[in-house]
Amino acid sequence: MAQVTLENVTKRYDDVTAVDDVSMEIEDGEFVTFVGPSGCGKSTTMETVAGLTKPTEGRVYIGDDDVTTLAPKDRGVAMVFQNIALFPHMDVYDNISFGLQLRTYEDEEIERRVEQAADIVQLEGMLDRMPDEMSGGQRQRVAIARAIVRNPDVFLMDEPLANLDAKLRVHMRTELQRLHRELGTTIIYVTHDQAEAMTMSDRIAVLNAGKLQQLAPPLVCYNEPANRFVAGFIGSPSMNFLEGELVDDGLETKNFTIGIDHDVVPGATIGDAITLGVRPEDVHLVEYADSLTDPTDRISARTDVLEPMGDEVFVYLLLADQAERSMDQDPASSPNQLLMSVTPDTDIQEEQSVDVVLDRSKIHIFETATGKSLAHGIVDRSDQESGPTATEAE
Amino acid sequence: MTDPISPRDDHSTTASNAGPTRPDGGNSTRADGGETQSRVFLEDGDAELDRGPLQRWVDDSIKNPDKVYRAMFYTAAIFFLVTTLFPFYWLLMVALTPEGQLSDIILTPNGFNPGAFIEVFQTIPFHWYVFNSFVIATASTVLVLVVGSLAGYAFGRLEFPAKVPLLLLVLVISFFPPAAFFIPLNDLFNTSFFILEPITGDGTLYNTPGAMVLPLSAIFMPLAIFILTTFYAQIPDGLEDAARVEGTTRLGALFRVIIPLSAPGVATAGVLTFIAVYNEFFFSFLMTDGQPESWAPLLEGILAYQGQYEVLYHLMAAASIIGVIPVAILVIVAQEKIVSGLTAGALKE
Repeated sequence: MAQVTLENVTKRYDDVTAVDDVSMEIEDGEFVTFVGPSGCGKSTTMETVAGLTKPTEGRVYIGDDDVTTLAPKDRGVAMVFQNIALFPHMDVYDNISFGLQLRTYEDEEIERRVEQAADIVQLEGMLDRMPDEMSGGQRQRVAIARAIVRNPDVFLMDEPLANLDAKLRVHMRTELQRLHRELGTTIIYVTHDQAEAMTMSDRIAVLNAGKLQQLAPPLVCYNEPANRFVAGFIGSPSMNFLEGELVDDGLETKNFTIGIDHDVVPGATIGDAITLGVRPEDVHLVEYADSLTDPTDRISARTDVLEPMGDEVFVYLLLADQAERSMDQDPASSPNQLLMSVTPDTDIQEEQSVDVVLDRSKIHIFETATGKSLAHGIVDRSDQESGPTATEAE
Repeated sequence: MTDPISPRDDHSTTASNAGPTRPDGGNSTRADGGETQSRVFLEDGDAELDRGPLQRWVDDSIKNPDKVYRAMFYTAAIFFLVTTLFPFYWLLMVALTPEGQLSDIILTPNGFNPGAFIEVFQTIPFHWYVFNSFVIATASTVLVLVVGSLAGYAFGRLEFPAKVPLLLLVLVISFFPPAAFFIPLNDLFNTSFFILEPITGDGTLYNTPGAMVLPLSAIFMPLAIFILTTFYAQIPDGLEDAARVEGTTRLGALFRVIIPLSAPGVATAGVLTFIAVYNEFFFSFLMTDGQPESWAPLLEGILAYQGQYEVLYHLMAAASIIGVIPVAILVIVAQEKIVSGLTAGALKE
C-alpha cells in the first residue's frame, strides 16, 4: 500500500509530447481513474508509474521512494493490460504464479497464494486450463489474479475491460469495485469509457493532449467541470455549448439572451466572449418546467430529430427558423442547435414548435478563449439561498 | 488424361443413338483417331461437331480447373520426390552390394550384403566422426540461436538509430563466399595464443571444434537473425510488458516469454543451422587434419574409406546413409515442435 506521486512528469517522443507536465498525488488506497480521449497520454502516464516508460522530465514516487529510474519489477506494482496479456504457453496456475516463481518463495507459499487469489476472482478448478480454453471474462479474471497474487503496493489497470462485451463489462465493473473494497490497495485505472470512470473511481483525472485537466471526485467533474473540455467529455450525451457574449443585461448568444447580473460571473467583464454550457437534462419544455425554482426566460425552438432511448428521449432542437442542419458541425457546439433530454412519456413530435427553458442553477459559463470555467450556476446572488454556489473547481 | 475416344457422360444419349450405326464397336482404339472422327460426325450436337480430343480436354479443363491443378501438383511432387529420394535409394543399393560387384547397379543391388553397415564401424571409427560432427553442429546451433536471439530481439523489438543499415550490414556477411574468409581464418587458427594454451594445448584453434564452430556460426548467423527478428517482432508488446512488470528483466522476458512463444521460428532457425553445419564441406574439410581425435567431422569419415589403391564405395554409401540418420531424427522431432508451437499460439492482440 502506498500513495503515488507524480511530479511534473513529461514524456516527449521525437515529434510529440505525450505527457505534458502532469503532477498529481494519489492517496494510499484510493481508486483513481485516468480518463480522456484516445491519444491524450493517459496510458503513457500510467506506464511511467509502471516503469515501462521512462519520463523525459519529472519524477515518480511510490510511497516515499523515488522510483523514476527503477525497473518495473522493483517498483511493487502489478498491472492488468488491455489485451489481457496472459502468457499463452502457460496454464492458469503458471500464469498466476509467474511473478512469485521469479522471486524466492517456498512452493507451498506459492500454492497457497495462488489458491487464495484464484478464490478472490472465482477461478477455482480452472488452474490447469490453458488461456485459449477460456472465455474473455475468465481470462481477464486470471490477469487480475496474476496482479493481486503478489500483494502489490499499487495496481495499474490499463483499459482492462475494453476487450470484453458490454454485459460482461458491467459485471466486471462491479467485481473490480468489490475487489478494491476487499484489498484496499491503491488502484490507478485507465479508461476512455466515462461510465467506468464515473462508477468506480474515488477521483477522476481527466487528461487531454497530455495535460491534466481536472483531478476531482466524479460528481465534482460532472457538476463543476474545471473547463470546457471536462464539461464536454464527462457526461453522455455531451453538454451543449453556445458561444456568446457578456452584455449589459445578461448573456447574449446568437439566438437568445439570458438575463443575469454579470457579477455572478466572476473574473469576466462586459463584452467578454463567453460560452454557455448546459447539459441536455437541464433543458426543459416549458410545460414540464413547473418544478424548476429558477428557470430562464422562454426560448422558442423547433424540434428536429427525436432519439428514443427507452428511459429517455433525446430531442434535437433548432433554435433559429432558418437554421441549417449542417452535417459537418458537431451539434453540441453549434450555435443553432440544442440537445434536450426528456422523459419518454413527454408529448412531443418531430418538426414541432416548442418553448424551452434552461435550469439556471445548472448553467455553466466558460471563457471562450481559454475554455476555463467561470461559473457553475447563474442564480442571482440576491435570491440565492440554497442554490449551488458558483465555485471554481478544486 | 481422359481417353479421347471413350464417350463422355454428358453425351450418353447421343452415344447410345450412335451405337447401332457402329458395326465395328470393338475397333474403338484405332491409333490414327479415325474412329473418333467418325464418332464426332455421328453426334448431332452442333457445338460438339468440330471438337478433337485435345479441344475436348481443354474444354474439360476450363470447366474443372481443380483437376488440372491436382495433376500439376502430382507432377511436381513426383518430380521432386524422385530427384531427392532416388539418390538415397541408389545409395542404399550400392551399400547393399558386396565389394567387387559394384558395376552396373541400376535398380537392384548385385547381391545382398547388409554387413556393410557393420563393416563401416570396423574399418575406421566412423561413430567418432559422427559424434564430432554432432558436437560441432550442436555447438554452432546453440551459439547461433543465443547470439541470433539477442540480435533478433534488438532488431525486432527495439527502436534505435541506424537499425535498418545495421540489419543490412549483417546480411552483407552472407554475401561473401566462405572461400573468401578461408585463408585469413586458417592463418588465424594456426596462430598460437597464450590464453588458449590451457584449453587446446598448443594455443591454436586448428584441430579443435572451435575452428569450425566459429566460422560456420558466423556464416549461418545472418539467416538466423533474419528469421528470429521476424518472429520476435510479432510477439505483442503487452506480453513483454506483463513479464517485466511481473518481475523479469528485459532479457528474462526474452527467454521466458518471447522465445517460448516464437518456438516455430527458433526451431526453424535451429534446424536450418544444424543441417547446414552438419553437412558443411569447405571448412570441415580444411580446418582439421582429418583424424577423428582432431575433431574431424563426418565428411572426413566418409572420405576416409578412400585409400590410395582402393575406394570402398559400398562402405562410403553405407556411411552416408548412417550419417543422415541424426539429421532425419532431428527434423522429425523439430517438426513436432514446430507444429505444437503453431497450435499453442492463441495470442490475442
